[in-house]
Amino acid sequence: MLSATSERSRRPEFRQIFWLWLGMTVLLVLFSLWVPARLMGPPASQTMRDVEETMTVFSVAASPVAALVWSVAAYSLLRWRDRSGGQPAEDGVPLRGNSVVTLSWVTVSSLLCVFLLIWGLAEMTTTNASAEATNPLVVDVTGQQWVWTFTYPDQGNVESDQLYLPLNRPVVFRVTSEDVIHSFWVVQMGIKVDANPGTVTKTSVRPDKLGVFDVRCAELCGLRHADMETSAHVVSPADFNGWITQNGGHV
Amino acid sequence: MTAAVVDHPVEHSSGGGGLMRRLNAATAVLAGGVLALIGWFVSHVTLQDGDHGSNQVVLITMACWALGFMIGIGAFNGPINWLLGRDQEHADELFLAGKDQGVRRYFRFTTDHKVVGIQYLIVTMTLFAVGGTLAMMIRTNLITPKSHFLNAQTYNAVVGLHGLIMIIATIIMVTGPFGNFIMPIMIGARDMAFPRLNALSLWLIVSAIPVLLSAAFLGGIPTGWVGYAPLADQAPPGMEAYAVTIIIFAMSSAVAGANITTTVLTMRARGMSWNRTPIFVYGTVASVGLAIPAFPMFMASQVLLEVDRTQGGNFYVASGGGSPWLYANLFWLMGHPEVYVILIPALAALMELTPVFARKPLFSFNAAIVAIAGIVGLSVMVWAHHMYASGWAPDLNGPFMLTTEMISVPTGLLFLVILGTIWRGRLWTTLPMMATYAMLWNFIIGGVTGIYLSDVPADYALHGSMFVTAHFHYTLMGAGLTGAIGALCYWFPKMTGRMLSRGPALISFWLVQIGFNITFLGMFAVGLAGQPRRVVTYAHLFATGNFVSTIGAYLIGIGMLFLLYGVISSWRHGELAPTNPWGAKSLEWTVPNPVPLENFEVLPVVTADVYGFGEPVSVPEELPATEPATVGAGDSTVLAAPAGTES
Repeated sequence: MLSATSERSRRPEFRQIFWLWLGMTVLLVLFSLWVPARLMGPPASQTMRDVEETMTVFSVAASPVAALVWSVAAYSLLRWRDRSGGQPAEDGVPLRGNSVVTLSWVTVSSLLCVFLLIWGLAEMTTTNASAEATNPLVVDVTGQQWVWTFTYPDQGNVESDQLYLPLNRPVVFRVTSEDVIHSFWVVQMGIKVDANPGTVTKTSVRPDKLGVFDVRCAELCGLRHADMETSAHVVSPADFNGWITQNGGHV
Repeated sequence: MTAAVVDHPVEHSSGGGGLMRRLNAATAVLAGGVLALIGWFVSHVTLQDGDHGSNQVVLITMACWALGFMIGIGAFNGPINWLLGRDQEHADELFLAGKDQGVRRYFRFTTDHKVVGIQYLIVTMTLFAVGGTLAMMIRTNLITPKSHFLNAQTYNAVVGLHGLIMIIATIIMVTGPFGNFIMPIMIGARDMAFPRLNALSLWLIVSAIPVLLSAAFLGGIPTGWVGYAPLADQAPPGMEAYAVTIIIFAMSSAVAGANITTTVLTMRARGMSWNRTPIFVYGTVASVGLAIPAFPMFMASQVLLEVDRTQGGNFYVASGGGSPWLYANLFWLMGHPEVYVILIPALAALMELTPVFARKPLFSFNAAIVAIAGIVGLSVMVWAHHMYASGWAPDLNGPFMLTTEMISVPTGLLFLVILGTIWRGRLWTTLPMMATYAMLWNFIIGGVTGIYLSDVPADYALHGSMFVTAHFHYTLMGAGLTGAIGALCYWFPKMTGRMLSRGPALISFWLVQIGFNITFLGMFAVGLAGQPRRVVTYAHLFATGNFVSTIGAYLIGIGMLFLLYGVISSWRHGELAPTNPWGAKSLEWTVPNPVPLENFEVLPVVTADVYGFGEPVSVPEELPATEPATVGAGDSTVLAAPAGTES
């Protein structure tokens, strides 16, 4: 959009701002590709992989917009600043508006908005589809001040304060609370749902990475909210079955 | 409305007042204290039994305090006189307006909008000082993973108090001081439409401050600023402080909202059509107008909470048939409009001052109004994006994602308005203008991070983490507070009659802005890595980011002290300000310093909007003019064209 305008109007600031904008956009895109997903750490599920992809894509999409605002601002400070120290002797150009610019601006931002919406809805659809997988493992999650309890109803009600999950099997969590609102968060799997007293909420995931991950409470729940964390162990199906039987359950 | 009203000799004006002469902040505290003691004693004796006894006693004591305080300040004298059919003399009105009372008028139920504006400024700065100190305590505690600077109970209390104090401070920080002091002059009015309601709204907030701070001695507000139930149901009596503060604050904002809206609708100067009304006026009306439907929700949520807490009402207690989601919905029905209550006037102030320092007209005035209207309209339809992960109505997540993302379009338009105004300007980089630039930087970051949070699946990962905390600080502080500081630097000469000295404010600007970005970029990092909000200790994984954040926070703290020093020292013995130090065109810069009680000796007639920078002076219709010339506007920069050219 900018380059087209620069050719039409032949004003030097368009070309200079264009290069400034391009440079900033490249830097911001590089930042977007490398930093946000990296900070979120290695994903332990497709859900989290999707979230990290969203973060990256949205960052990349926002880069030219942020670069446009910042490059015009930076350029104005470099070139249009009055250096007399007092009130500028002359006024600027009395531009009252430009309907072409305003309309293009609104169009582009609306298109970006539509893109965000479509992206988000598509993502939600895939997440919902994976939640309706057949033969999921059901885990009942109960939050209470300030511990998590995990119960496996289909495995003889095995109960544990650590979460054990078999690799690559879809899991449905049925989450509730004994007292106040908690929020069940498996950080590296990108899932979170509040544990509400008196109601059961659901979330689901398919862990696809072996390892020990973090379960935290994401809703302030009183004195020891910070300590309300435990581990999610993703183990092989055989190890999972072993753990179930070891704890008096049946497979 | 004639010029005659200012011609009264001084001896007449000092004669009125009646009982109001004896009432001031001291009698208010006395009456509040006495009534609170009576309330405490009576309720303590009669209500000892039951599960909710201490909550009831605290609630009654606080309500008695507030009532006594308002009686003691004289808030009810006017209505009672009217009920008894007693006429107010003109001298009484002049006394009430604070005529010839020097500093004492700031401690009375004074109706002069300029006094109310200064009072709001002091209240705002006091709240920021307390809230900022609490922020320093939070960051100090988080400097290492397990610092033990604060124990968990104190930490939770401090977090809740910090949040609530800062929310109240940011809500009033622009519409309070500048909406009251500047806005009426800007539209060419002699005062607000309802001067008594103006004083009422201010003193209601003042009465609520001791209530709010008393929470610190009643077990704190251990729920965060959101006060989520049922955690709030089991909280100590500090929660009564929360509820009573919010109920009083909602009354205050309703009164202020009705007053400001009526003033703008009915009291604009002759000739100030809607397309000549400055954008700051639009911003102020949008803010208080949005507060009018929003805050009753908050008030209702707290009334229900108090029924829960004092009567076992179980509105929010699932085991008694209630629902925590009821609270969350009521809260966010207020909570999301509220962020725009904060942001819109701050951005409008920056839009008002940017043309002055770019020496250019505001770019696309109509787009700015459409954008503000669009934000106001959409902001009441986005509340449940705070509840994506709550489990409440998951089917609504999609629609709320739509409305939330749509709000980026009008918000983006505001960026265009400011960028277009800067475009090819003659930029005079004063402190207010620097605030505009800082906002452009911060609000982009705040806005883009908001887009991640609007996305439902991404929000499942980020909700309740430090990422959210960093995001809303970038919007409310990076854009909102920065805008308010810009407004303070811009209007300081008119409000105090003195120039704000550049040195301390400049040091403050850089310390605050650099510190701010360090603090909250660090917080984004730990949030992405998975640190929850409102935790007193955290995993070692987050140690570096938190350390960085704390160092940044100290820079903000030091920077704010510089600003405080600059404001106090400039206010006391700064260089005297000319009538129109910035060469601006809006009406507040045509009245002399200090602004006379009646603002305008002769009410101005407006013949153009205030943004005619760089436009030909030979066309008199393009410039605001007064008829005849405003007395006292001796500075040659007041108007670029001879006044009174309209015929």
